[in-house]
Amino acid sequence: MKKILLKTDHLSKSFSSGGALQHVLKNIDLELYEGDFTVIMGASGAGKSTLLYALSGMDTPSLGTITFGDKVISTLSQDGLAVFRREHCGFVFQQIYLIDGMSVMDNILSAGLLVSNDKKMLFSKAKELFAAVDISEETQNKFPTQISGGEAQRVGIVRALINKPEILFADEPTGALNSKTGLDVLNTLSKFNEQGQSVVMVTHDMRSARRGNRILYLKDGIILGECDLGKYRHKDMARHEKLSAFLSEMGW
Amino acid sequence: MRKSFLLARSNLRKSKGQTTALIVLILFAALMLNLWLMLSMDYKQNFDRYHDKLNAEHVTFAIDGDNSKIQEFLIQTLEADKRTSEFSLDSSMHMVGLFLYNGGEVNSELIILEKQTALSRLVGKIEIVEEDSQFTSGIYMPILYKSDDIAIGKTVQISIGSNKVSYTVCGFFNSIMAGSHNCAMCELILTEDKYNELQTAGYAPKSTLCSIRLKDKAESESYEAMLKNTLSAEYPSARTVSNSYALVSQSRYISQMVCSSVVSAMAFLVLLIALVVISSNIINYIQENMKNLGTLKAIGYTSRQLVCSLLLQFLGLLLTVSIVGIGISYCLFPFINTMMISQTGIPYTVHFLPVPLFITLIILGGTITLIVWLSSRRIKKLEPIVALRQGVQTHNFKRNYILLEKTKAPLHLALALKTTFSGIKHNVTVCITMLVLSLVVVFSGLMTKNMIIDITPFLNLIVGEIADNCININAEIEEDFLQEMNLDKQVEKIYLYHSTEVRHIGGVGLIATICDDFSKVNNSNVVFEGRFPKYENEIAIAAKYAKEKDLEIGHEISITANGQEAKYIISGFTQISNNLGKDCLLTRAGYKRLGELQNISYYLNLTEGTDIDSFNTNVKERFGNEINVTININSTVSASASVYVSLMTIIVIAILILSAVVITFVLYLLVRTMLSNKKRDYGILKALGFTTKQLILQTALSFMPAIILSTIVGIVVCSFIINPLTALFLNNIGIVKCTFIIPVYFITVAGIGLILFSFIITCILSLKIKKITPKALLIGE
Repeated sequence: MKKILLKTDHLSKSFSSGGALQHVLKNIDLELYEGDFTVIMGASGAGKSTLLYALSGMDTPSLGTITFGDKVISTLSQDGLAVFRREHCGFVFQQIYLIDGMSVMDNILSAGLLVSNDKKMLFSKAKELFAAVDISEETQNKFPTQISGGEAQRVGIVRALINKPEILFADEPTGALNSKTGLDVLNTLSKFNEQGQSVVMVTHDMRSARRGNRILYLKDGIILGECDLGKYRHKDMARHEKLSAFLSEMGW
Repeated sequence: MRKSFLLARSNLRKSKGQTTALIVLILFAALMLNLWLMLSMDYKQNFDRYHDKLNAEHVTFAIDGDNSKIQEFLIQTLEADKRTSEFSLDSSMHMVGLFLYNGGEVNSELIILEKQTALSRLVGKIEIVEEDSQFTSGIYMPILYKSDDIAIGKTVQISIGSNKVSYTVCGFFNSIMAGSHNCAMCELILTEDKYNELQTAGYAPKSTLCSIRLKDKAESESYEAMLKNTLSAEYPSARTVSNSYALVSQSRYISQMVCSSVVSAMAFLVLLIALVVISSNIINYIQENMKNLGTLKAIGYTSRQLVCSLLLQFLGLLLTVSIVGIGISYCLFPFINTMMISQTGIPYTVHFLPVPLFITLIILGGTITLIVWLSSRRIKKLEPIVALRQGVQTHNFKRNYILLEKTKAPLHLALALKTTFSGIKHNVTVCITMLVLSLVVVFSGLMTKNMIIDITPFLNLIVGEIADNCININAEIEEDFLQEMNLDKQVEKIYLYHSTEVRHIGGVGLIATICDDFSKVNNSNVVFEGRFPKYENEIAIAAKYAKEKDLEIGHEISITANGQEAKYIISGFTQISNNLGKDCLLTRAGYKRLGELQNISYYLNLTEGTDIDSFNTNVKERFGNEINVTININSTVSASASVYVSLMTIIVIAILILSAVVITFVLYLLVRTMLSNKKRDYGILKALGFTTKQLILQTALSFMPAIILSTIVGIVVCSFIINPLTALFLNNIGIVKCTFIIPVYFITVAGIGLILFSFIITCILSLKIKKITPKALLIGE
């Protein structure tokens, strides 16, 4: 029996657009499990990113509750959500979002020092993660604008993992990268997932989605279907076909 | 041009907040520049206007005695001098006297004129500005003294010599050369009956009042000296009193000069801050809009058009705001005028002055054009393709300041310091602003300590020697008087301190202060270089005068008085503003070489709690008519000082409020710019789990190094330069070296207050961070 990390109950999100109320998420009941690589898929405008922001505490739902462990996070204040994010979540953004004025290492430590004062431990953890994502010593001292997109996204993953989050949220992490560097990033995410890191990733790319063991398909604000792909294995054609069939069924 | 106008309008619309802050700064600069120009260009000219209107004299001279012999001699002397244009000679009475005013005493050489005589004068006319026909017997007072106690119908008591007389106030008049105690003499007008009554009583000796207009007013001082010299040679024992255009035109406008100096200093400081802010704004605008500027260049806009749009933007703003600022200065001017009139005593009607307006616009327009042109030079170097490719580059990548793995500073401080080091231009703006405000804080502290809380240091500097009491006696009773005073337990200290007129041969008339022993004086700072005269052949002279005449310590000068002449060696330099830097000090033995004193003034320090007025009454009772005059110095000083104290209180409050407004708007501009530049960073940090409070703290802390450092440097440096700087402003009235007490505690507390105020304001201004959400960053808002 898998441990539930995050749970939503009748989660809804609406926006007012041009005077009309737009229901982006509708009564979503969802459970995210420890150790899973959950992929949220769907067409543009399906509500994938909105769901990710709500789950990660970047945004608050209009209705319903989100529970992390036994703590309801949907009623937290903005500062309460900030504390929740820093202590429990890691983020990998499509646009990477490193701070240009800080070196790569300082980008990592600024996130780490927010949670722990043990600078020595953080430094060695950062070094370990940099080694794991193949970021050289030289790159660590560069500024974000001086490194490549692929390197920057891997730095983003290191920053997301520095505080050992329970869940790593990734929003289209390969969206701004070419296929080679995108593949490197996906390999990195898979590697950490294999080591037990829970990952929730939004994507509309099938190649990326294959990395997940659990695929959720979102359409018009509801979870239309779910597919269990099992553990990721490289060049597993059966897995690919299963995902294709699931997506076809969902109308992809 | 039209394209530039459209761009300028678009720029202004995009940055409403920054435009508002600039509006406030330019408004203050225009307001104060115009006020300063009105005060310095027209306000003082009011003296000349009234001088011409009343056909006033350039030299006033009164000599005891009104017999035909004296008058004939005077006429001959005046007519013989080619510099004389016209003159009036009239009978009057002359005596030292005092009356109560403004909670204190006015002590002056009183020239008492009969009403019809005064009104019929051709030179030195008197203008009755207020009267009530109901009161036909009494006194007319100079308009300066119109107050709650001195009003039409009320009774004013005047001590003339050792006698007291009371008169009903019938009205007020305006006299340019003798309408204030600042004129060396003060005219009072009595109705015919009261004049005759006083003459019969014999309280004041008859005198001849002589008012002379010169062909060239620049000759007033030398003419006055010539007249004194000639008359004292012919009538050595006759008491005289005189003034000149040069003296009166300065002394009646001391408050105008102080106010004008402070306003001009503040105007230029605010302008400096506005220019720094504009420059920082433009540099920031170019950085933020590099892509847009590249696009505009790519579609055919020239650098000239882009710079023109910036110029139009700021000049348009300047013109509109300056007109409003100048308008406000006209609204404030009546209040300043009221304050000034309480010192000048010369009515001034506020009217439109085009010249100050144009000069204000030229100064502001010229400096702003220059700063816009200099700051926007980067646009000219901008190549469209480079601008489009590079886009915004707001960070300096040469060095990674404050490495997080190495620094011992807490995280938020470390991140704040990183921001500090990456925003050098912000720091420069902050530093210049804080340096300027430090000067304001130190100046306010100095004035509060040395003028508002305790005026003694200011008076020591301006007036020179101050004691509790002054008694002028006939020389014959000196020995008895001193014996009694030395036995009196109420007398703590008594010393000769008598002022009389002498003349520097080859120079002008000087007020000589004679003391039996200068080691007894209360204010040893009167001589600020060299030492007090000790021997009979020594003299200390005013530093300002010495500078004018190129005299040094050790030089020998010739002094004449009472028809005698003697040589003295300069032992030191003095600074007393009473006679606008035309003073000297002599020992009693030194003065003896020029003649004997007929009447002698003694200064007294009385024991704590002694009622000075009762003491004086008692002395008068004991010595009768041998006492010429008694002056309660404390009371006299408080009457004159209250005007300066209230003026300075208003100035200090005004500049502190202005400072608070300036710092708020400068910080507003900087915080606004920072939030705009770092919006993305704040979004990222919030997404990572930084709370709004932590980011506000970081923002406020990032300004603190520059604020703290520049405030400390500013306060320390200004503490050292404030006295020389103040002396520079007071140079016109004879002050060369200021020795004001630096209120270390006050300015330390004020400096800390300034830093805390800046911190709180930055925190408040940073509250906008609350609106930055990580979600907005992710969805690209």
